[in-house]
Amino acid sequence: MSQATRLAFIAPRFPEGTTIGGAETLLKNLATCAAGAGREVTFLTTCARNHFTWDNETPPGERIIDGLRVHFFPVDQDRDVRTFARLQETISRGGRISTEDQLAWLSNSVNSRPLYDYLRKHGDEFDRIIMGPYLFGVTYFASCIHPEKTMLVPCLHDEAFAYLPVMGDMFRGVRGIMFNSEPERDLAYRLYSIQPGRCFVVGMGIAPFTTDASSFASQRGIRSPYVIYSGRREPLKGTPMLLDYINAFRNRTGRDIKLVVTGSGPMNVPHELIPHVLDVGFLEPQDKFAAMAGAVAFCHPSRNESFSIVIMESWLAGTPVLATSGSEVMRDHCLKSNGGLWFRSYPEFEEELCLLLDNPELRAALGKAGRDYVLREYSWATIKEKLFTALDANVP
Amino acid sequence: MDGMTESMFKIGAQGVDTRAIVNEIRASVGRKAEQGLYSDPRIARAEKTNLSNLSDQEFDQYYMECLRDAVFVDINDFEIHERRRLFSGLLVGFKRLIWKMLRFYTYRLWSQQNEVNAILLAATEANDNRYRDKIEELEARIARLEGTK
Repeated sequence: MSQATRLAFIAPRFPEGTTIGGAETLLKNLATCAAGAGREVTFLTTCARNHFTWDNETPPGERIIDGLRVHFFPVDQDRDVRTFARLQETISRGGRISTEDQLAWLSNSVNSRPLYDYLRKHGDEFDRIIMGPYLFGVTYFASCIHPEKTMLVPCLHDEAFAYLPVMGDMFRGVRGIMFNSEPERDLAYRLYSIQPGRCFVVGMGIAPFTTDASSFASQRGIRSPYVIYSGRREPLKGTPMLLDYINAFRNRTGRDIKLVVTGSGPMNVPHELIPHVLDVGFLEPQDKFAAMAGAVAFCHPSRNESFSIVIMESWLAGTPVLATSGSEVMRDHCLKSNGGLWFRSYPEFEEELCLLLDNPELRAALGKAGRDYVLREYSWATIKEKLFTALDANVP
Repeated sequence: MDGMTESMFKIGAQGVDTRAIVNEIRASVGRKAEQGLYSDPRIARAEKTNLSNLSDQEFDQYYMECLRDAVFVDINDFEIHERRRLFSGLLVGFKRLIWKMLRFYTYRLWSQQNEVNAILLAATEANDNRYRDKIEELEARIARLEGTK
């Protein structure tokens, strides 16, 4: 085992201010962890901030951000958005497309030729190139440049894109893969028949914090119990379902429960639910943690998770989790931690939420179990060891 | 939380057993579904974005029952809100007046929509039953063929 001291990290966007995404945050935090341990770290990314438009909003060039040397490269402006959207739609529906079309879909996704040129020119200066998430053109094409040095952080979900044969080529072609959880790794085994010796479960460290559980409700004038959701609001994240469930819950049980939502993206709130949804938008971390700490539960309706930073934060805030059982990853976290419950359908959601509302001791016990789990499994000391084991390993 | 044992609430030195809690919840939901407590159009509406993920056969059956209730469009009066604070009373009054004037014209739409919904539901149920029977027949055939190997 030889130490990989010179590391390049690649992500389609760099998380800064309100530009935030789970995978990007994960890569930035791993890069920061490696830099803190004395490894030489360079971060390569695009000038885009918005993951819908991919417009170049950040000036290109090199900057030092939070102690990291970050190179911003412009996104290629000649992408054919119509072709991309057409192919994306076909793939999403589970339709089969040729290898040529799969590559056309990736080519018209987010790409940066200047970033690829930099990687070709400076690839020898790095021992490992760590990149993700898996379904962007920038990851796919960057992984083809120095596959023998590439460590993929795929953030893989069980979704139509994961079944494309080109994805299998990428997973099998790179040096190694760093997964966020065991269910994510097992999904990759099922889909791509990759060698176990090149697969590592790393995850992300979560820094512990303390917060005041009553401050958010008192500042915002909330007098009823509330459920919280943090993150992007979009159908793939299950937020329409969450709104429908809360609406049905209020109607059927007659209980006055509110929904607090942090994060970004539009929400189509049913008319009668509008007075009971508090959309606070993007919050600073300490405010978000306080909002989580005061909630009856953190509800995560998304099936597409490979790790879920927000449920870890919720557990650190001492709040139990209600998660959809459609996400193997979140169900696995809930099972291992005993910090949350999972539901398949509305009736189970209703029963579980009633149970939590009626049993403060159970809520506290679940929250404590979750917090203990995060402190035990996702401390930075634990993650650092796993990260360097993966980066320094000799692979078959 | 009727129908649940007290055991699931016990919190011992080892903390709680979430698997046991979820299993008890599922048993409770099963009992309530048999009693028809989830035959509710509000559940049908709540599940509209989750349908493709629900593959459980029992759930399909009770969801169909929910849909039977949900096909009938509600044209009763409803509470009218106004989010704008300025002139809110005036705006609510104006909306109520508009609703009273237009309500009569919704009756024809309402009856037609109910008819369409009922036809669609009947077709969905017929398809569901046909596929269910076909799958059962094929499963039985596979079992027979595997038995003869």
